Amino acid sequence: MTFILFILSNLLRQKIRTGLTVLGISIGITTVVALGIFVNSAKAATEELILAGGADFTVAEAGVADMTFSSLTTEDLALLETYDEIEHVSGVELAISKVGANAYFFQIGIDAGDLPFFDAPLVEGRLFGADATDEIMIGDRAADQLDAGIGGTVEIRDIPFTVVGIYDTGTTSLDAGAILPLAAVQEYDSREGLVTLAYVTVRDGTDIDALTDRIKAENEGLATLAGIDDVGAVDQGIEILDAVNLGITILAVFIGGIAVMNTMAMAVFERTREFGILRALGWRTRRILQMVLGESLLLCLFAAVFGSILAVILTQLIVLFPTVSAFITPQYTLDVFLRGLAVGIGVALLGAIYPAFRAARLSPAQAIRYE
Amino acid sequence: MSEQPDIVIDVQDLVKTYDEGRTRALDGANFQVRRGEFVSITGPSGCGKSTLLHAIAALERPDSGTIRVNGEEITAKRDLSSYRAQGIGLIFQLHNLLPNLTASENVQVPMYETKRSTGARRERAEELLRLVGLGDKVKKRPTQLSGGERQRVAIARALANDPPIILADEPTGSLDSKASQQALDLLRDVQRGQAVTLVLVSHDSRIAAAADRTVYMLDGKIDAESTDRSPEVETDAAASRSSPVV
Ligand SMILES: Nc1ncnc2c1ncn2[C@@H]1O[C@H](COP(=O)(O)OP(=O)(O)O)[C@@H](O)[C@H]1O
Ligand SMILES: [Mg+2]
Repeated sequence: MTFILFILSNLLRQKIRTGLTVLGISIGITTVVALGIFVNSAKAATEELILAGGADFTVAEAGVADMTFSSLTTEDLALLETYDEIEHVSGVELAISKVGANAYFFQIGIDAGDLPFFDAPLVEGRLFGADATDEIMIGDRAADQLDAGIGGTVEIRDIPFTVVGIYDTGTTSLDAGAILPLAAVQEYDSREGLVTLAYVTVRDGTDIDALTDRIKAENEGLATLAGIDDVGAVDQGIEILDAVNLGITILAVFIGGIAVMNTMAMAVFERTREFGILRALGWRTRRILQMVLGESLLLCLFAAVFGSILAVILTQLIVLFPTVSAFITPQYTLDVFLRGLAVGIGVALLGAIYPAFRAARLSPAQAIRYE
Repeated sequence: MSEQPDIVIDVQDLVKTYDEGRTRALDGANFQVRRGEFVSITGPSGCGKSTLLHAIAALERPDSGTIRVNGEEITAKRDLSSYRAQGIGLIFQLHNLLPNLTASENVQVPMYETKRSTGARRERAEELLRLVGLGDKVKKRPTQLSGGERQRVAIARALANDPPIILADEPTGSLDSKASQQALDLLRDVQRGQAVTLVLVSHDSRIAAAADRTVYMLDGKIDAESTDRSPEVETDAAASRSSPVV
């Protein structure tokens, strides 16, 4: 029998205890992994939004708590246009309100003149007209969810709009929402003359980092967003999510560690005599340490695998809610599963170190006499 | 006496106390065993037999005195684990086997600290189980074996790494008289056949009588007279060693 099978057979001696411990650790790992999936998905969704329509970067008002609270004036937009490297600036007004079953129906108000610079490939119909105020383009997911087609009506804040086009951008929140005339959104948002963000496209060969640095340096009130790492400047949400995620991870390691410590301490205590025999038969303290740590690691590895599977199932169940699927597509990236695995290993080591050293330090003669 | 080349175990003035000196488990014990000899130690419960055996097995460090095995002072040894694994084979009275392992796996336990491959470990274990008459029980767990069979597994395990010395602490203590006799016969066969030195501890003087030589212990000391009686018996033991039975 290989050493690893020996370790496994020790775990199987107390099937219920092992099973319950695995289950307990799994739940912690499920929490960490599922939360990680959501944080990553939320980040991906936010990133998609800042680079929506093929923008090179986005400009927002600096220092706001949430990106949707940002306000840019017509002067801000004009100022951006003075930069030579900038090819085009589209001011857009973002709004979120309940439409149909979707509580977070996403709306982008954009000027018809800016539409050629906003990449939203139509799958049906046409762009809204230059002077239209009651026309709307909806995403393919929104079309499904609202069961609306070309010529149909979508009501936003009790105002009816006629669907003239259906697009597919590949961006979850956009495809579950709508693109409509800027003036219409500004009117129902009561924000005449203001926009939320400016989508910027630059001329070929522009060093985007250098340009955004310059814009920030020259305009204190503006924040530039070229990727997810910049979002913290205009949105505390992601930072809070990251902090919560880290907090839960640390908590999971400690709670799991204590659970494993309890299990391993019991396993070591009730096998005192056996450890004495193993030592008497020539087992080194190192091998005893390896055995106890190995049992703990194996236990937590099972929990990591089981917990990760549970997390995926849980996530898939949660995105069945239209409210969630409206702005998030689950991102199953390797890093969240590695984080789950790291929690498992952390829990295993934290929980096993004390019992393992106790087992290794037992005097063989005392342990053999132990009844 | 320690200069004699055929003395394998030489214990001099061994003292071991417990409870901050209140219990003197060994109180100046002197004890010698010759190569290939079968010696039993007997005496009343609590007289220090197990303590002496544990000290020889390097499971416990004495307070004072010396233990030389094959001329080497074992308390000075750095690697006690390899001495325990290769230098001696140990057999205890009770709950001796790991319950979650089969007979074969139990016999393999001391072999984990050697360079043997998994396959070689299994082969060696099965060979030893055949030697102790359990060739058909290699896959049985302790709960599926009788007390006598379990003790045979323990004997096979003690032989795993071919140690020159076997130390048995009350090996028949939990067996009925028939199984006791069988275990004793097996131990003697092994001692002769494998040419090992066997030290057996038993509080039961009838069991102890099976040995070539018996020493008596009382209050942590070896009765000097019993040790003095040894030379006559020793010649018999040396003669029987040349005709292996296993
Ligand atoms: N770990 C220990 N702590 C305290 N006293 C012990 C310990 N081990 C043995 N003793 C005492 O040492 C004495 C000798 O014990 P032991 O060697 O087991 O005797 P025997 O094997 O002859 O019955 C006994 O009085 C016993 O109670
Ligand atoms: Mg005893």
